[in-house]
Amino acid sequence: MAHEIEMHENHPGPRQYVVIGVILAVLTALEVGAFLIEGVNPALMVSILLTLSFVKFALVVGYFMHLKFDDQRFLLLFVVPFIVMASILVALLALFQNLTR
Amino acid sequence: MQYLTDVSAHRTSTGLNNRKLLMWAFLGSDVLFFGTLIATHLVYRGKSVSGPAEAILDIPVTSVSTFVLLMSSLAMVLALAAVQKGDISRGRFWLAATALLGMGFIGFQMFEFTEFAHEGLTPRTNLFGSTFLIMTGFHGAHVTVGILWLWSLFFASFNGKVRQDNSLDVEIAGLYWHFVDIVWIVIFGVVYLIGAYGVEETVHAGVGTLSALG
Amino acid sequence: MVANIGTLPRPLAPTGVWAWMTTVDHKKIGVLYGVTAFFFFLLGGLEALFMRVQLATADADIISAGTFNSLFTMHGTTMVFMVVMPAGAAFFNFLIPLMIGARDVAFPRLNALSYWVFLFGALLMNFSFFMNAFPDIGWFGYAPLTAIEYTTSNATDYWVLGLQIMGIGTLAAGFNFVVTILNLRAPGMTLMRMPVFVWMTLIVAFLIIFAFPPLTIALTFLLFDRLFDTNFFLNIGAGSDPLLWQHLFWVFGHPEVYILILPAMGIVSDVLPTFSRKPLFGYSTIVFAGVVIAFLGFGVWAHHMLTTGLGPWANAAFAGTTMTIAIPTGVKIFNWLATLYGGQLHFKTPMLFALGFISMFMLGGLSGMMHAVVPVDTQHQDTYFVVAHFHYVLFGGSIFGLMAGLYYWFPKMTGRMMSESLGKLHFWLMLIGFNLTFMPMHILGVLGMPRRIYTYSEGQGWEALNLLVSFGAVIIALSILVLIINIARSVRQGEIAGDNPWDAATLEWSIPSPPPHYNFAVVPTVRSQYPLWDEEANAVAPPPLPAHEEPQMPSPSYWPIVIAFAITMVGGGLLVWQAHAIAGLTIISSMGLLGMRGIYGWVFEPLEVEEAVHVHH
Repeated sequence: MAHEIEMHENHPGPRQYVVIGVILAVLTALEVGAFLIEGVNPALMVSILLTLSFVKFALVVGYFMHLKFDDQRFLLLFVVPFIVMASILVALLALFQNLTR
Repeated sequence: MQYLTDVSAHRTSTGLNNRKLLMWAFLGSDVLFFGTLIATHLVYRGKSVSGPAEAILDIPVTSVSTFVLLMSSLAMVLALAAVQKGDISRGRFWLAATALLGMGFIGFQMFEFTEFAHEGLTPRTNLFGSTFLIMTGFHGAHVTVGILWLWSLFFASFNGKVRQDNSLDVEIAGLYWHFVDIVWIVIFGVVYLIGAYGVEETVHAGVGTLSALG
Repeated sequence: MVANIGTLPRPLAPTGVWAWMTTVDHKKIGVLYGVTAFFFFLLGGLEALFMRVQLATADADIISAGTFNSLFTMHGTTMVFMVVMPAGAAFFNFLIPLMIGARDVAFPRLNALSYWVFLFGALLMNFSFFMNAFPDIGWFGYAPLTAIEYTTSNATDYWVLGLQIMGIGTLAAGFNFVVTILNLRAPGMTLMRMPVFVWMTLIVAFLIIFAFPPLTIALTFLLFDRLFDTNFFLNIGAGSDPLLWQHLFWVFGHPEVYILILPAMGIVSDVLPTFSRKPLFGYSTIVFAGVVIAFLGFGVWAHHMLTTGLGPWANAAFAGTTMTIAIPTGVKIFNWLATLYGGQLHFKTPMLFALGFISMFMLGGLSGMMHAVVPVDTQHQDTYFVVAHFHYVLFGGSIFGLMAGLYYWFPKMTGRMMSESLGKLHFWLMLIGFNLTFMPMHILGVLGMPRRIYTYSEGQGWEALNLLVSFGAVIIALSILVLIINIARSVRQGEIAGDNPWDAATLEWSIPSPPPHYNFAVVPTVRSQYPLWDEEANAVAPPPLPAHEEPQMPSPSYWPIVIAFAITMVGGGLLVWQAHAIAGLTIISSMGLLGMRGIYGWVFEPLEVEEAVHVHH
């Protein structure tokens, strides 16, 4: 009993995946490039690097893991533990007085 | 909209496939697992009493291994796309490519760890050694499990066990694989880049290694 | 269809012990959990009785200090991980599919694995007793006491490995029940029509999958520190902070106590309506309060550490979150009381235990709130006041709630009623014994008696109260004896229960007692929270199906028990490695391979094997 695969309009094909792959490589290059710039305010550098990492993260989760097109309940199942973990992480850093560089 | 890929699509209350739901629940749990490892490393950052710390990191080399792992995710999703279209031999090719790229990443990790050991950093050395190596070690263990899984799918495809109608099996393996990749995205960004920003030797050491390889 | 993948043919119609070892039936697995939990309840109770004999009088030397350390360590570890959690699992397993109108859980073999891994992990930890390495570091194993230089044996390694192995079973069960409850509900059973016990189980399942990983990491760090000399907690010279262990442990440990109490709250929420003859007051509120408790439960952990020098800001923050969590808890209590109000109350044993739960848990909650006031906690920390608090919530709360569940669902599981008179005797003896044991501990704590001391000098003014406490413990033991007699007699001679002896409202009461292998002859369609109270009074349950019409059920499998064995032996191999490296490595690698073989066997065998003749498993 074979099921047809419903091709949603936005469902990426191999070409789009390769484009995402290229973007990921470029973002990584940007990250390393930013890292190599000396003398930047650490807080600013952290923000830049976190942002770039986050975009890479979102691309893999959204497109490769298909979460952008899938049932939103999967997203909930993934985001909730993130929020819990992020809160615990920030709390631990504060408790160990290692929150700021 | 969802695509139906499960041949035994029993009706479920949510309409979501049981095993896919299981994998997402597992990945959510794994967020706490790696989060705790990363949190421990960050809590101890800058507090090692002696021994090497971020200065030992080799950003250029790790950038290459990061790129390799990212490309393995691309290969994985191309494998899934092929199987979903029924092109099993192309799917098989991309599964092997994913596994090989993953093995390349592990190769880089092993190279990195042996270098560190020669330079005096082991899990026993100091806080940095313990937290960094155990964290990346667990990540490497996850990658290794994924590699075994991918090769199993590769060989199973020769026995007709990987088909268009059960492409969900490949999709679920893919979810695991991409997760392992995004954990590395976080580790690379936070532990390597943010952790080592402003620390001189990471660049000079790396340049030395790359030119030695060349 | 291939019926054997391993070298041993797949059992299709096993009997006797082999049937139990290869079962994937949630009802059988529930019974296995329940019997095992009860056994460990007796063992943990014995450990407590020994402590109370030693503490009944001043300057006693019946039990040495070292042995006493093992007693309180194992009493706590046993009660938390080998009694309350598996007892909860017994109820989840037996009841959840029945309550949601399903034939089994989402992953029956994973379910079996959960049980066997739990059992073998528990046995491994207790095996240490015979190796003169009974854990003695307290149930929460604080660093740096757990360092090799402070312990004379590898007891701590047994403790770590036992917990890790049991933890695998717990996590697997958590995943299984998340998927089962979300996905296997009968048509019409929306989330807001599920019995509250099912809701609480769903919340507990999420708590498990999010709270156990930090424990896994903490235990791994501890093991590596001890075995491989890493620097996470124990190497002060290298900058290790022992407090990190406390943080990681309690990040797990606080959600863990909600894992321990929410099932009992769920049981009580289903028992009260039945014996008040009216629906639960504020169903949505109780459900929502449960969800809020779960979230907030991740934000209060350092209230176990208020005297460790975290500083005023941290103390204030955690005191604040702790006080906040009292709100949804209190909301639940008010809703239960409102359920009783105006109801036609029937004081059968399940109801008595439910009422006992509400009152005793409330007292425990109040002493907990006292701890939340930081300066007061400074006096309470490490005294018997804390012991009083957590026994009121864990015994007065969890155990009483589980007892309510036992008396309530025993008829469904066995087809027979328990004796009401013995049940009432059990309840009153237990209630009185419990209060005699733990109420004086509040006073002892405030008088300054520390925890975890094996004796005390005379003349401190503690003698009379300690004697009373020990006397109370004996009363508790007597009440358990009454329970054992009740169970033993009722299983064989109890009055036949029928489908719905309590005239209750939820789906499990619509099928025979005990249920047939396939649970429901016809998968029901649900239209309300109280399906059986909304049906016509004369509704008759469909008769059991003839053998040839029984639905295909998941087939038995030996892979779960094999894999559980392999996992445990990897742990055992690590212990052997400490004494004998080659032997240990051999065990670890061969068992690792066996485990992997098991996983492949499992993955490639079908869940159900078509049978020519449907046989009862």
